[in-house]
Amino acid sequence: MNGEVLVRLNVNGEDRTLALKPNTTLLAALRLHMGLTGTKRGCASGDCGACTVQVDGQPVNSCLLLAVAAEGKRITTIEGLSHHGDLHPLQQSFVKHGAIQCGFCTSGALMASKALIDQNEAPSHDEIKEALAGNLCRCATYPRMLKAVAGWKEFEGVRFDAKPHVHAERDQKRDHDVVSHGVTRYDAPDKVTGRAKYTADIQLPDTVVGKILGSPIAHGIIKRIDVSKARALSGVLAVITGADVPDTWYGVSPAREDEQVLAKERVRYVGDEIAAVAAVDEETAERALKLIEVEFEELPAVFDPVSAMAPGAPLIHPEKPRYAGNINTRVDWHFGDVTQGFAEADLVREERFVGNRTYQSPMEPHAALARWEHHGERLTLWSSTQTPHYLHRSLSRVLGIPMGNIRVIRPAVGGGFGAKAEATPLDFCAAILAKLTGRPVAMEYTREEMYRHFRGRHKQYIDLKIGVKKDGSITAVEHTVVLDGGAYTSYGVITAYYAGSMLPTLYKIPNYKYDGTRVYTNLPASGAFRGHGVPQPRFAFESLLDMIAEELGLDPFEIRLRNAMEPNMRTGNALDISSCEFIETLNRARATSGWAAKKGKLPAGKGIGVGCGGFVSGAGYPIYRSDFPHSNAMIRVHEDGTGVTLHIAASEIGQGSDTVLVQIAAEELGVPYEWVWMADCDTTLSPLDLGSYSSRVTLMGGNAVKMAAQNVTAQLREVAARELGCDPAALTAREGRIFVREHPSVGMDWAAAARIAFSKKGPVVGTGSYTPPKHLGGEFKGGTVGTSPAYSFSTAVAEVTVDLETGYVTVDRFTDYSDAGTVINPVTLHGQVEGAIIMGMGETLLEDTIVGAGGHLANANLHDYLIPTICETPEIHTAAVESFEPRGPFGAKEIGEGSLLPVLGAIANAIYDACGVRVTELPITPEKILRGLKLRETSRASRVVVGAGVRA
Amino acid sequence: MGMPDFSYLRPGSVADACALASRLGDDATFIAGGTELIPDFHRGRETARQLIALDGIDELRGITIAAGELRIGALTTVAAVAASALVRDRLVALADAARAIGSAQIRSLATIGGNFCRAVACADTPPAAIAGEARVHLIGAHGTREVAAEEFFLGPRRTVLAQGEMLLAIALPAQPAGSGSSYQRFSRRKGAALAVAAVAVRVTMAAGRITGARIALGAVAPVPMLVSRAAAMLEGERPSRALFADVAAVCADDALPITDLRGSAEFRRELVNVLTRRALDEASARAEEARS
Repeated sequence: MNGEVLVRLNVNGEDRTLALKPNTTLLAALRLHMGLTGTKRGCASGDCGACTVQVDGQPVNSCLLLAVAAEGKRITTIEGLSHHGDLHPLQQSFVKHGAIQCGFCTSGALMASKALIDQNEAPSHDEIKEALAGNLCRCATYPRMLKAVAGWKEFEGVRFDAKPHVHAERDQKRDHDVVSHGVTRYDAPDKVTGRAKYTADIQLPDTVVGKILGSPIAHGIIKRIDVSKARALSGVLAVITGADVPDTWYGVSPAREDEQVLAKERVRYVGDEIAAVAAVDEETAERALKLIEVEFEELPAVFDPVSAMAPGAPLIHPEKPRYAGNINTRVDWHFGDVTQGFAEADLVREERFVGNRTYQSPMEPHAALARWEHHGERLTLWSSTQTPHYLHRSLSRVLGIPMGNIRVIRPAVGGGFGAKAEATPLDFCAAILAKLTGRPVAMEYTREEMYRHFRGRHKQYIDLKIGVKKDGSITAVEHTVVLDGGAYTSYGVITAYYAGSMLPTLYKIPNYKYDGTRVYTNLPASGAFRGHGVPQPRFAFESLLDMIAEELGLDPFEIRLRNAMEPNMRTGNALDISSCEFIETLNRARATSGWAAKKGKLPAGKGIGVGCGGFVSGAGYPIYRSDFPHSNAMIRVHEDGTGVTLHIAASEIGQGSDTVLVQIAAEELGVPYEWVWMADCDTTLSPLDLGSYSSRVTLMGGNAVKMAAQNVTAQLREVAARELGCDPAALTAREGRIFVREHPSVGMDWAAAARIAFSKKGPVVGTGSYTPPKHLGGEFKGGTVGTSPAYSFSTAVAEVTVDLETGYVTVDRFTDYSDAGTVINPVTLHGQVEGAIIMGMGETLLEDTIVGAGGHLANANLHDYLIPTICETPEIHTAAVESFEPRGPFGAKEIGEGSLLPVLGAIANAIYDACGVRVTELPITPEKILRGLKLRETSRASRVVVGAGVRA
Repeated sequence: MGMPDFSYLRPGSVADACALASRLGDDATFIAGGTELIPDFHRGRETARQLIALDGIDELRGITIAAGELRIGALTTVAAVAASALVRDRLVALADAARAIGSAQIRSLATIGGNFCRAVACADTPPAAIAGEARVHLIGAHGTREVAAEEFFLGPRRTVLAQGEMLLAIALPAQPAGSGSSYQRFSRRKGAALAVAAVAVRVTMAAGRITGARIALGAVAPVPMLVSRAAAMLEGERPSRALFADVAAVCADDALPITDLRGSAEFRRELVNVLTRRALDEASARAEEARS
């Protein structure tokens, strides 16, 4: 075989000579051979830009350039951007403008920006868009990147202020020192320098690489597996198949455990995991996979829920009789009396809507790294997970060892959106292979494997019927949904409930019937994706509401206001709404967007539309039955009192939760923001938090942190009261001082009080925990899903331009008002809303995983599965309408998921306004719009519906 | 998927590169920017075991004018073509087509030669070059030859290049006086996406009449396609909406689109129709400007 060659590279000003095989990319040379892991591998095919470096000043995808071809060239990576610890002005600008979320794309975006400003010191927004079009950011921090690059020169000659307490947006109206201020993200400096370590960046000595073999067929029985050739390949250390993994069935949902680490008998979709290998490097591992011989008895397969439910359809889980007819979950709810409700209605409209199989596409591929210690008794697993606790528990159950013998570490995570909310075969296989080989095992999904593992959005087939009085008030809603579940349950039981439970939180619905059926198909399993189960029903509802309004001659805002939820109400499905400023979000969005002057008055091809949404602030119940508090925190004060460490196993995945939790800790402790350190998310250091899903961290984690801080403050108040000779209750702590509330001059340094406390009693530690109110929800099956301590509400107005000749939609402007309770950090809040709007645009207009022949995905890459780029960024106005949520820390609720929900309906309604074409099937492609426009022309109809069928 | 092992040969001259390619045969392939080749390796679509790297051959690089002919070396990056004032002055459609390719990162690696030789149906620069009557200069064991750009492509991923033969340069003749060009493309998103359909047009005008026109289509046939029948309809005519609509309809008829992930054949025909009209509008307006 071909040997290595010597390659001379000049990287960040240093000459290096490496012995490399000619097929080594520059990316691999940087990461694996030079340890420069700031340059990321997101797709390995030039589509995502995470690996951008400068080569002789030009921006280049280092995954597409062979290292040998970079010989003698000047290479600059993110590690070379700052000098002697001084951040480059561009890096400072990214930090100060909040142009960072998960951070995985940040290095690449910075290097592409650097290449731009090297040529053009003062680029326009259009020039920035052109330069960054190849840097995908799934958090969609694009609006802030535009500002950061455009404004970079302001930071020239400025020394980076290490104190993060510089407010990009300051809130003067409240009496808080840290909360409600737009403090710099806690993780920003590490993310702009490439120092933040994601799972795949952690390099342990002696690590070997694991890879998984996926099924090439959609459905079949494994007759024979022969791994002897793979085992015999030089460099292969272990090969495992279904026979080598535990028999335990696992799954997110305890009621539906239907997965095994590797297939033991049956494969159920293309990609279903069959075998895994550990080898000295990735190339050898991949070669070994090709040497594994598998013989199948191929079975008929079903790729849509209708065929899967048809009589005689092949059964996907025949060994489990409860899944007869491939029915995974059935929900049958009826609140009030819809028959009577429809009888009372003046108008009843019914429509079919069809959703799309969208994938979260986080920029960071899933990764796991496993190492056994203590004579092979204890496992440490680093994993790119949103839910370290559920992963921890699944590992314990599947591997048959106590949780106490497992340490789960969550390094920086490059986005999740629900894709990383459960244990993956990577986690299990890494653990098993590490045990077998006695060496650390690192595993990572390729971009294609990510799409195969999926856990993305369920495609829903929705029949929605709404009855209203003449004034628009809703009398009844009947909602029937069939969900394409794919081959396994994942979060799907909960999805099936959410698809029905969340419609009644926004509008008053006196009579409500929901039928949900989740069906197994021979496709990758669907799971929980931002807005869990709700975006498609919400799209359907907001679309149908507009159709009804038009028929009644009502303004779309009027019909929404007529039915809008108000504070302290209980929905028909027994969800308790507490704080609620929904009406105010409607009023403000209408006013700011200039609705009255635009609706129905824009020229042909221009349109405006409204959509609404809202979500839970954390699920009221955990996924498995448990009495443990949902969030738990511990704060330890450093001995000399000049710092504190916050321990909580919550998951920063880009949404900014670490920053929010640190702000809450600092505020409640009465110390400056920069005093607080965040302990690593490591189960041996930090107590249980259920993780980042259902938008729970701000409210639940925040409450636990606040309580832990109160606990610390109470201890210090006692000490200070003794020193000052006053009542502890008279004292308060702010900005590093403890003082008498009524006489601020009487007081002492916070640090001094902490030192005295430590001298007297040893470590000063405070703990806190949060359990949602007991008995949330109704006493009916599934009544727990949709319960939450609090709900968010948003209204969004979209303005679009439809090219009437091609059907191409440009989203020009978005106006969003959200009630997220008290805003803890305005910068991260607006970042979340902007990201949700842009992600929602992708779901509405672009995205769908396409199932090709035999169940093979036809677009499992970022080249064919198109997500929005910076060029798609509309003008966005976001603002908060603050309520005070009594159950939230400082009155806070959620923002990350609820803000996605209005987007789909708002765009669909705007498109209709622009061109008279109502598309009821997602995504709304130019082709569908054009089909509608043609029909309008031929039928002379003023409006047409394009969906399951096309009709005038 | 990772890449197979291959050896990397770096000849210093065109003659050496051709000799290597002849000797190694099917086992070898040329690599220029690598932006198509590397992903093709990952997908298992490329199987060559020997790469003949062209980046050591300086004579393949650069944009020059000699004897009225604008010569773009095969190894010139797409970014350089997009930024070149010489190209823009001569055939703005070609500069625009180059600018439409991929992302800034791709454009700084990808070469115009690669864009031709990989012969992907939706490649951007070939239709524009064809509209500008470009010729491609080839060199091989039997010497050099010249081929009209539209004759270079035989099918998806197939060209007239013989074993051991390589593309030296794309040559653009001086454009007829009073010419204007336009490149119109449609893709599913604004940033970095392949063309679903593309139309390149060059219109030459004199005294308010069209004296000549060339129309080339991209992404709607197995190869970039010159539609002569439609272009002939323009000759001697004054630009008008009705005329352009008729010509566009003929282009849509003559296209040979397929249905794939990016769009149906029917939609692509519709796009050809729209894009042709837009390209004719823009090119004729530019031609008028060029005269005045």
